[in-house]
Amino acid sequence: MSAFVLPLAALAAILLAVGAVGFGAAVALVPRGTAWRADRLAWGFGAGLAILAGSVALAFSMRAAPGWLPFLVLATVVVSLARVLRIRERAHPAPVRRLSAASKVLFAILIAGIALYAARALTEPMWANDFVAVWGFKGKTFFFERAVPERLFRWLSLGFSHPEYPVGLPFLYAGIAFLLGRWDDHAMALLFPFLQAATLLALFGWLRRRGASRELAFGAAGLLSFFEPLYRAFTTGMAEVPLSFGLLLLGTSVCDRLDRTDRGASRRVAVASVICTATKNEGLYFVAVALVLAAIFSLAQRGFAARAAAMLALPAALVVGAHRLLRGSLPLRDFDFSLLVQPGALAPRVKESIAVAVAETPVAAWLGVAALAALLLAGRDSTAGNRLLVLAACGFAAYLLLPALSVRGPAWLVGTAFFRTVAGLAPLVVAGTGARLIPLWPEPAGSSPDAASGSARGPAASAASPGPPILSTQGS
Amino acid sequence: MSGRRLSALTASAVLFLLFLLQNRPSEVLRRVRVLQATASRELALRRLAGSGAAFDRAYFVFLESARRLVPAGTPGVAISVEQPTTTALYLASYVFAPVPVLLSPRQVPPRWIAAVYGARQPVGWREIAAIPGGALYARP
Repeated sequence: MSAFVLPLAALAAILLAVGAVGFGAAVALVPRGTAWRADRLAWGFGAGLAILAGSVALAFSMRAAPGWLPFLVLATVVVSLARVLRIRERAHPAPVRRLSAASKVLFAILIAGIALYAARALTEPMWANDFVAVWGFKGKTFFFERAVPERLFRWLSLGFSHPEYPVGLPFLYAGIAFLLGRWDDHAMALLFPFLQAATLLALFGWLRRRGASRELAFGAAGLLSFFEPLYRAFTTGMAEVPLSFGLLLLGTSVCDRLDRTDRGASRRVAVASVICTATKNEGLYFVAVALVLAAIFSLAQRGFAARAAAMLALPAALVVGAHRLLRGSLPLRDFDFSLLVQPGALAPRVKESIAVAVAETPVAAWLGVAALAALLLAGRDSTAGNRLLVLAACGFAAYLLLPALSVRGPAWLVGTAFFRTVAGLAPLVVAGTGARLIPLWPEPAGSSPDAASGSARGPAASAASPGPPILSTQGS
Repeated sequence: MSGRRLSALTASAVLFLLFLLQNRPSEVLRRVRVLQATASRELALRRLAGSGAAFDRAYFVFLESARRLVPAGTPGVAISVEQPTTTALYLASYVFAPVPVLLSPRQVPPRWIAAVYGARQPVGWREIAAIPGGALYARP
């Protein structure tokens, strides 16, 4: 067993260390207090991974070898800076309520979901085509070359590895391998159950802060943990699971910024923008959509536009600029955007995309869609929930219509990418649906984290309509 | 219990049931058994036993054997197979990374070595090593 178990244990220790570093940096992202603990763990893990991937990029740019030293140097700088910029707000601890029997059952379901995904992800070395041809291939190349070879972006024969894709995930793989001291694509799969757990923490924490009862938050996270189209062996190693985590961070942080829940919301928007843009090309699309949606949703408010737009756009522009410096301008070779100005040619392709997607959707998925519709109808109107659902709907529309521009034909792209990419929207959809259900299962009066933190609004009200829960600024 | 709550609970239960059915216990048990059986083996053997090599396990043995024998400093490897496929290209590129790979190219770049999967011997090349499923060749 030791051939696998020892590297796996080392990987677990590395991920915990990276998470601990991120947890330290998260003092600048989320307020202190138990009400924010789940958020801080989730954001801390995301920040830690970003620091690790960033340390690889930094070391390469300085022609130094990545590894523990560059990682710890960068971590020290970031954590020190974060301490200086830490958020002094503190949410008062909520009254401790005993776990109900329902909460215990739902928590057990949540743990079972994580264990199931871990069993699927860790069975064998990561093997999906996109891992072998794109993400893992680049990460392995970075690790063994100790540099970013220019051929990755120049050689036509390497076009299969999609030189136009962002390199955030390959940098992360390389970073993990540098810390481990070897390339182990089996132990490295542990990253994915960790990402799943971080996603569930972010979901749980956000719903709780928005006034959901523990049962509702556990139920939503437990349901998501069992969502096999996203958390399965095939997606392990690909970019969907990391992007789905980033999208949840993006959507919830934009909601928090619009509702001005705390002073860290703008910073979280910036971090989420970086994570999404550096993970996948459509991450930039989602940032742009979030920017437009935020502008629309904040028309009735004052003060959003300039700062929040900057927090979304500038980090994304930085990531795009860094990629331009690294590899120049590379076209999205899979798509023929000239079709956009040829309505006559585009219309039948759009029709084909939709027809193939509908035809290939299994019966079980239709049942799931019907159940989701029933859930949405059972809930009550929630501005925060609506924002997340609209963001997810825009993603769905893009994934459905983009195949119409595919140079290999709509049917091919729908068949190879539509279902797994749409599955990446699940955390956003669950969070949006959960927000609509908060009025049905609100936190009992007096024990809501928001209520405890001094919000003048009820917890259900804060989810149903934008309003600034007020945090105290005691302590520093 | 209100109608809305009942609707939400019913819909949630349907969703959970659908998700649960996708998590087939037999698949999970099979995966656990595979892991138990392969965990003590070296990494390459675990990949050999896994899904990534399932399309042609002998091809993976050939690639891994070739990778271990490719001389240090080799600028690239031209792999010759009878029926080139993208799956074969992806696996070869990943196994050899960071050494560049071309699959069944018309021309082999200078100083690259050739790895032939099968019994064919390229004309004008000398064999430098026999490996399971084929051989490595270099220009004289």
